[in-house]
Amino acid sequence: MTRFSRQSFLGVGSDEKLTNATIGVVGLGGGGSHVIQQLAHLGIGGTVLVDPDIVEISNLNRLVGATPVDVAVKRQKVEVASRAVLSLNPLARCRALQDKWQEVTDALAECDVIIGAVDSYIERNELEAFCRRLMIPYIDMGMDVHSLGEEHVIGGQVILSFPGGPCLWCLGYLNDRKLTQEAERYGDAGAKPQVVWPNGVLASLAVGLAVQLLTPWGRRPVVAAYLEFDGNQHTVANSNRLKVMIDRPCQHYPADQVGDPLFDLRLDPVTASQAEPAAVPSRVVRLRTLWSSLLRRFRRVSR
Amino acid sequence: MNTHLKIRADLLKAIREDLDRPHCFARERVGFVFANLSRLGEGALMILARIYATVDDKDYIDDPNVGAMMGPAAIRKALQLAYQTRTAALHVHMHGHAGRPAFSGIDLRENAKFVPNFFNVAPRVAHGAVVLSRNSAAGQLWLKASAPPIVISRFSAIGAPLGLNGVFQ
Repeated sequence: MTRFSRQSFLGVGSDEKLTNATIGVVGLGGGGSHVIQQLAHLGIGGTVLVDPDIVEISNLNRLVGATPVDVAVKRQKVEVASRAVLSLNPLARCRALQDKWQEVTDALAECDVIIGAVDSYIERNELEAFCRRLMIPYIDMGMDVHSLGEEHVIGGQVILSFPGGPCLWCLGYLNDRKLTQEAERYGDAGAKPQVVWPNGVLASLAVGLAVQLLTPWGRRPVVAAYLEFDGNQHTVANSNRLKVMIDRPCQHYPADQVGDPLFDLRLDPVTASQAEPAAVPSRVVRLRTLWSSLLRRFRRVSR
Repeated sequence: MNTHLKIRADLLKAIREDLDRPHCFARERVGFVFANLSRLGEGALMILARIYATVDDKDYIDDPNVGAMMGPAAIRKALQLAYQTRTAALHVHMHGHAGRPAFSGIDLRENAKFVPNFFNVAPRVAHGAVVLSRNSAAGQLWLKASAPPIVISRFSAIGAPLGLNGVFQ
């Protein structure tokens, strides 16, 4: 028996595929903390962990792995996350980046899959656009609690946004109205209600999708998913919207609109330095250097 | 500097199918991938494939010394497309085996002859050549017409499951 022998059904070479993969997790609060625990158990070799925040007392009801000591010492959420990864997998390639994800895009660009557990529609929109531009599959997860009369309704979703396939806009999850309303409420959002178990369900679905992308486990390849979680009924269902949109090409991120259309190699300092061939000294220069060296030695000896 | 070529798996499949078609006299086929580039911070130079252009049957030259020899029309059309789309042009051909392929001596010689010409029409981007096998790839990339090429260090096929780390299908 090995550590991973009970997940060998994931397919031939799956251990190696998971070890070689790098997954970015943006947002390490309630949802993201569940995700990184599972990635570490699975043996995902590379993680890029991004969150600008520190652990606060109000996080402890759902931030898996965080303790009151982390609150007391104002520990970074990325530190809690990397601690969880490295305690299970000391050889993991774990980059913990306490910053806004927009500031560490070079690290995220190297990821094979990115899982977003961010709070706002605006951030989701930007993160999906970033992933589409770099052809990175993006798995979005989020939960919400809202009051409906006397009752509190728990809902959530996990969406796989795959290059070329339906995006968050195609699936109706993002629209101008939501973004506008959120922008108007900016700075006035207040504390959103959150609990631990729906995050666990949604994180498990997100990790399941990531594993399906990385290993030959699923016989039917999944290139799009919109899973809706009903926290009151304890059910997960495929969204009807996905059934309608699955075979339509994405109009928002056409498959050929990738990369940076304004990229200019000549203005890129790193690329420019690479393009210069190493200077090979000419024969004359080599002879002159040799002659100078001999002359210096001769002067030293004659003194 | 690391370089990373990404391509949608469905586009890669279409390329392999095109290159697999027999030609009336050429022993192999060639084509061009056109790609946008991106580089963030100190990260890898990303080569993100957009489209594939096949070389028309009539644009091959009958040369028994090589597997496939493009005529001037093929090069002219590829140059035109690189100019119009302002994209990186990557010459593509395929070796019919599985596992990591390698350029032949003739490939290397011919690549060095014509790839730098693409900088005349699209100097803002890199250009290169890729050789495919049934499930892998190797590539050269010129960052400047006058400098020697660098090796494309990583290939990813974006499909389900993802083709990563040497598996390029």
